[in-house]
Amino acid sequence: MTSDTTTTRPTLFCLHALGMSRLEYGPVADALGDAFEVVALDLPGFGDATTADGVTVDDMVRQVTRQIRRHGATRWLLVGHSMGGKIASIVAARTLAGQGGLFGLAGVVLLAASPPSPEPMDDENREQMIAAAVDGPLDADTRRAFVDDNVGAPLPTALDDQALADLHRTSPEAWTAWFDRGSREDWSAEVGTLDLPALVVAGGADGPLGEEAQRRLNGAVYPRATHLTLDGAGHLLPLERPTEVAEAITSFWRDDAGRAPVMSDDFARVIASSRTASNTRGILAKRAVADDPRYAPQVLTEAQLATLRAVAARVVPQDDPDHAVDLAARVDAQLAAGQGDGWRNADLPSDPEAYALGLDALADFTDLTPEQRDERLAAIVAGDPDDTLETVGDSGGGDSHHGGDQGDAGLTGGTSDDTARPSDAEAHPFSVEQLTAWFEDCRVDLVKAWLAHPATMERIGFDGFANGRAGRALQGFSRLGAGQREGWEPAMEVTR
Amino acid sequence: MKLDAQRTYDESEVVDAVVIGTGAGGAPILAKLALQGLKVVALEAGPNFEPDEYTQDEVEAVKINWMDERLSGGETPTAFGQNNSGKGVGGSTLHWGAFTPRPDERDLKLKTLTGKGEDWPVDHAELIGYIEEVENFVGVSGPADYPWDPQRSYLMPPPARNASSDMMIRGCEALGIRATDAPAALVSRDWRQEHVGTRPACVGCGSCHQGCRSGAKVSMDTSYLPMAVANGAEIRPESMVTGIELDEAGEVSAVVYVRDGVEHRQRTAALFLCAGGVETPRLLLHAGIANSSDQVGRNFMAHGATQVWGTFDTEMRGYRGYPSSIITEDTMRPDGVDFAGGYLIQSLGAMPLTLATTLARGAGLWGPELVKALDDYRFMAGVGINAECLPSEQNRLTLSDELDENGMPKVVVTFTPGENEKAIDEHAVATMTAIVEAAGGRDIRVLARTAHTIGTCRMGTDPATAVVDPDGRSFDVPNLWIADNSVFPSAVVANPALTIMALGLRTADRFLASAGLSGAVAGERVGADVSRVVDAA
Repeated sequence: MTSDTTTTRPTLFCLHALGMSRLEYGPVADALGDAFEVVALDLPGFGDATTADGVTVDDMVRQVTRQIRRHGATRWLLVGHSMGGKIASIVAARTLAGQGGLFGLAGVVLLAASPPSPEPMDDENREQMIAAAVDGPLDADTRRAFVDDNVGAPLPTALDDQALADLHRTSPEAWTAWFDRGSREDWSAEVGTLDLPALVVAGGADGPLGEEAQRRLNGAVYPRATHLTLDGAGHLLPLERPTEVAEAITSFWRDDAGRAPVMSDDFARVIASSRTASNTRGILAKRAVADDPRYAPQVLTEAQLATLRAVAARVVPQDDPDHAVDLAARVDAQLAAGQGDGWRNADLPSDPEAYALGLDALADFTDLTPEQRDERLAAIVAGDPDDTLETVGDSGGGDSHHGGDQGDAGLTGGTSDDTARPSDAEAHPFSVEQLTAWFEDCRVDLVKAWLAHPATMERIGFDGFANGRAGRALQGFSRLGAGQREGWEPAMEVTR
Repeated sequence: MKLDAQRTYDESEVVDAVVIGTGAGGAPILAKLALQGLKVVALEAGPNFEPDEYTQDEVEAVKINWMDERLSGGETPTAFGQNNSGKGVGGSTLHWGAFTPRPDERDLKLKTLTGKGEDWPVDHAELIGYIEEVENFVGVSGPADYPWDPQRSYLMPPPARNASSDMMIRGCEALGIRATDAPAALVSRDWRQEHVGTRPACVGCGSCHQGCRSGAKVSMDTSYLPMAVANGAEIRPESMVTGIELDEAGEVSAVVYVRDGVEHRQRTAALFLCAGGVETPRLLLHAGIANSSDQVGRNFMAHGATQVWGTFDTEMRGYRGYPSSIITEDTMRPDGVDFAGGYLIQSLGAMPLTLATTLARGAGLWGPELVKALDDYRFMAGVGINAECLPSEQNRLTLSDELDENGMPKVVVTFTPGENEKAIDEHAVATMTAIVEAAGGRDIRVLARTAHTIGTCRMGTDPATAVVDPDGRSFDVPNLWIADNSVFPSAVVANPALTIMALGLRTADRFLASAGLSGAVAGERVGADVSRVVDAA
């Protein structure tokens, strides 16, 4: 099974602009080198693709979905240029909803992209473009003008020739369908907001799809987007600035989209397969994307989030810090969504308040050595007042139950001056017992956030989510004994 | 379930009965009353689901659980949420484990036999009659020979054994403990359910607690509720009851509920309160009725549900197959002990998040130890108990001063196990540890937990010490009836849902008899001769 479980390099599925073809990604692919597998597709009616299966936006989405599914990639980005950007956003939305049998989308790269909402376009221009294809393929003057109107500076000859040739072989139906319908269609309700890593690149000298439109239209769809503007570039970014586009994609992957925990290909393929119901696939798809490296806490303060991250690292240590779940951020998001677990200890305030108080009591946690951190948490679990509350330092003071005690080994002090301490209520809104009770909730929340990630499920050997759809389509387990395994199951090799 | 073609009633119409809650207590009542031609409306706090809306994902599957916040106190605060009540058309039967031992006769006479706890003012044979009616209607699978009740039979063979089952059988055999396939409320053969169609045989997907997507597991929305709707009942989902109105005679005249943020009022001639051991007393305390005994909210009980897990050399992966397919009742009355009552043991399958929550909370694990335990998950198998819990003055449900979104006070439930519970637990841990070790398990982990919400509106013969009479009728409000686990005078070792369903049918019959409807129709078995195993002789 080992050959099936090795994790391959990420795949970029690249969708071209109107009038272009998969060839427009050639220079970007060259600049990217071997770190990515670049799969550039011809959209229907462009390049070598026929119009047999239709040329509407919906047709394009379905054909792209089918090609990605056939490819079988398990860790991939969608790259969409102009018209291809609209297709990319719709495919991304469907993938995150668990539809189409796709899984493994790690992020979206948009290059001067058309948004899911109607594309800003001058009516006169639209009419001219439709008129240009009324009698058949675009004529030489139209092709020449189209390239010239869409670049910030002339292209190198070979690329210029390629762009003109792609325009020449563009199907008039596909060309007209985009101007007449596709660019006008409003898919924003179906796409909604896509909370996943996104890189949105604009050309500084582009027209209606320039920087302002990218921030306003695509920025609203992708709240986590990194925006980049290439000064002086026009609309044909992959042809005009392949090196800069490739560099941006590389760092986007390294710093953002590629930082999620990695699962094996065979595990990801089980999630993509019909063994996994689409609603469950959608849940796992959203959870599998990398956390936002710039996550801004919604309930906690930045300081409390930093403390919680440090606590999380001790409670649920993750092996690979470059591909880890940001457990603290996910707990903050859960608190913001008001998702409790149906009960709380009667001695604790509401969950957000309890977290604030608990983390404030641990405000110095990040100053401790790893060993001290563990001692501190062990003391909290044990409900030991000496160790739990006396290390708060200047911001917290000591604890009146044990005012005369000496600081214990491994603590950072803060117990030296009884008279300078604030009152117990001000210094420690939490009692020892409350801190213990809160930390019980805290570690449950943290381990839950870790286990909910499909990569963790693979690690611990769990594929129980893969039991088919409702009714007769439900697929159970029939080989139930110890050590038994069914043919469809991923290897889930033991890592311990 | 399909509700789009159901009959509907006007709120101003005085219906014959309103049933609050559509779970194990309310659904059989609704079906039985509708079958008699009564005009009945059920109010369900949760939404109406279709099977394809369930997800196996443990985090998101909580949409079928009662996740509204409850406050929990005492020495061992009860974990609510996923562990207990359900929310949705079908109530807790949407997420229940479908493990259906029958109540033991000795448990109903606990006080007479041991001097501790309480007796049930319910005849065991009568209760078993209703249980058989339930089993035959909903479809329960079980062993051909039940060692602790030789007369008993089940219509279908038991669900397939998984690695945990084999482990428990092995361990019990080595120790001379009798163990066999557990009765499970699921259909192990295709089963024709009237008003539903064919419920396909269980395929062992293992996701019982996340909602059964094939209908194999017994759930009220695939059994009693479709029958109720077919006979003219109306089910109103997402309708949270916030008040009960009494007329001048002190009888219920209307029920106030909130739907889509709007307050509604349904007039009714009778009320059945079947909202479970927490929401039922909460509503009564909030409404300030039916509590002249001051017993509403008192004697909250939770079954001891401690688990013992071991790590094995081969992968057990207990999430596969029906989760709890083996039982022993040899421990119902152990020899040489001084505690009252006993416990049963079942084999365990656990989803990872459920187990991890217990490891982090019950076992206090964190750090590398927690990660190591979860890396061991696939190698782990365990057994767990359902143990007697005696009613106690100190364990009580009250209203807090915190309000929920509907302006209803949140509850505070205080629970501390008594000496009897602790003694049972100690005995059970020793027995379970021996079983798991005899089966080859090492790295024994004991995970403390409790399960079920019982008591709080106890049934009894004395209006001074009980909320409802032996028929389930309020001593104070003559047209108010309660049928759920809140009326249990003592916990009873057997898992409660089957008993609740039986009590529901019994309460409906008592109601019909009191209303003079007992002649030709009352007592008629719901669904007699209509449900059966497909292809059975």
